[in-house]
Amino acid sequence: MRVKPEEISRLEEIAYQIRRLSLEMITCGRWGHVGGSFSLAEILACLYFHELEVDPHNPKWEGRDRFVLSKAHASPALYAALALRGFFPVEELYTYCELGGRLEGHTDMTRTPGLECSGGALGQGLSIAVGMALGFRMKEQPYSRVYCVLGDGECNEGQVWEAAMSAAHYHLDNLIAIVDYNKVMAKGFVWEEMGLEPLRAKWRAFGWEVLEVDGHDIEALLRILYEARHVRVHGAPIAIIAHTVKGKGLRETEFNYKWHTQAPDPEQADAMLRQLARNYGRPEEGYSKLNDPVAKEKFYGGE
Amino acid sequence: MSEEMREVFGKTLVELGHEFPQLVVLDADLHTSSKAVYFKQAFPGRFIQCGIAEQNMFGIAAGLATQGFIPFPCTFAVFASQRALDQIAVSVAYPRLNVKIPGSYVGIPTSRAGASHNAVADLAIMRSLPQMRVADPGDRRELRSLMRAAVLTEGPVYFRITRYTLPDLFAPDYEFAWGRGVRLREGTDVTLVGSGMMTGFCLEAAELLAGDGISAEVLHCGSIKPLDEDLIAESARKTGAVVTAENASVVGGLGSAVAEVLAERAPAVLRRVGVQDRFIESGGIAELLAHHRMRPADIAARAREALEAKDRLP
Repeated sequence: MRVKPEEISRLEEIAYQIRRLSLEMITCGRWGHVGGSFSLAEILACLYFHELEVDPHNPKWEGRDRFVLSKAHASPALYAALALRGFFPVEELYTYCELGGRLEGHTDMTRTPGLECSGGALGQGLSIAVGMALGFRMKEQPYSRVYCVLGDGECNEGQVWEAAMSAAHYHLDNLIAIVDYNKVMAKGFVWEEMGLEPLRAKWRAFGWEVLEVDGHDIEALLRILYEARHVRVHGAPIAIIAHTVKGKGLRETEFNYKWHTQAPDPEQADAMLRQLARNYGRPEEGYSKLNDPVAKEKFYGGE
Repeated sequence: MSEEMREVFGKTLVELGHEFPQLVVLDADLHTSSKAVYFKQAFPGRFIQCGIAEQNMFGIAAGLATQGFIPFPCTFAVFASQRALDQIAVSVAYPRLNVKIPGSYVGIPTSRAGASHNAVADLAIMRSLPQMRVADPGDRRELRSLMRAAVLTEGPVYFRITRYTLPDLFAPDYEFAWGRGVRLREGTDVTLVGSGMMTGFCLEAAELLAGDGISAEVLHCGSIKPLDEDLIAESARKTGAVVTAENASVVGGLGSAVAEVLAERAPAVLRRVGVQDRFIESGGIAELLAHHRMRPADIAARAREALEAKDRLP
């Protein structure tokens, strides 16, 4: 499979925008998960802008692929991807975590266009994805796929392995789980908190086909997603272990659990966004709401 | 006398399966106990064995519901309400998915398995979940009608299935409706409110009370949530004394639900029959019902107590 350089740079730009918008959203919403959103940027860009069969103008189209964000605290990255893809206006991202808005802190499928499930309690998404994949089989939709993104720390949850066992039992080769292996949990490194290794062998032992990839390498991601959909389809679900960097993009957030759940203040966000632009060789741009009096009032004056 | 309630459940599932092709049944290795096995025999392609992994089963049910199916994930009430509570809350109730949850083996009459297997908190737990409808049917006809109503109602439903046979309360043409209670016996001195198998006991208790010249009204609330608040309040205003009876813990279940109605709308003397904030022990059914003071005679005794308390009121 050949990947055109223009396609790679297009997706790199989208990944950059996902990071930018995530940080804007988290700042504006005064709450959110920077690290786990940044680690997912390339994966979501590749899924929503290359791999997934979805139609933003007809979000409930029967023939669409399904995407389950099991690590639903990375909602800013997913909302950014959905907005950029056209499911709702990009400006709406600034209503993240706002009472009465459509963008809940953790995903709520009844509010947000394009969301396929609700989440927040870790460990539940893969089971839902198994149900969706069984549903495709019962509805005889052999070309549709279910993608499920799990966190690495999330793999501590027993339900993940119940789901893994059942997916292999039912030979769900229409199910692709992607582990965002960013090596850091809420309060420390994975290897300190609760070791996962040998992770590949675990999925293998549960009867899954396992692929590994650098989760920030667009070209490698596109190849592996192609392989997962078209090549490795022989009766076993597919796990992609995506090696990523928590907080990827900024030196202060990378591999830093202190940025698991934390919102910068507007000045800090401004500096971070400028740095992000420099790191990705983009025109320098700060926090768009920095001098917005309403946003300021909300941030410093509210509550 | 008729069939065991679980038999009625299993056969009704098959009937509904013929009528609704999108109905699917999931199981966690208990289908010959719950009688979901009949559905497996009739529709093997729509029966999904999930193994002993209830949390996963409710997630799979949620996923199937997003695909337009109407899943019935079947297990014992205690495992649904306790083992898989977070999955039912977040994966099913929060997104208001169309999952119908049968809770088998409720309360006292199950087996000698003891506290780990006998659900007594399920009414309280399920009642506390937003968007969840909860039912505790009183006889075979109500169970059958309720299951049809559950399929026809969009959104999550939890309903209880007593294991054994229950005496008939309703005529063959009875129809269950959400939020509708039924006055089974008119009375003026005291109101007995039952759900599930306990309504039959309430009717027996009313007979015992009649022998003492006490006129008891008997209400049945198969629909626990929504609850027929008007019926309860109206009857409580008339009698001024209420006894609830449930095959469940009095903490958070029917007794609590009725207490909420009385406190807010129609203050009256209240006594609650049911499991009194305890874990169930192993034992025979009759023995356990006596031990937990849940027999018709116990309901009648509580009614007399309530009447005395009412008479002492200023």
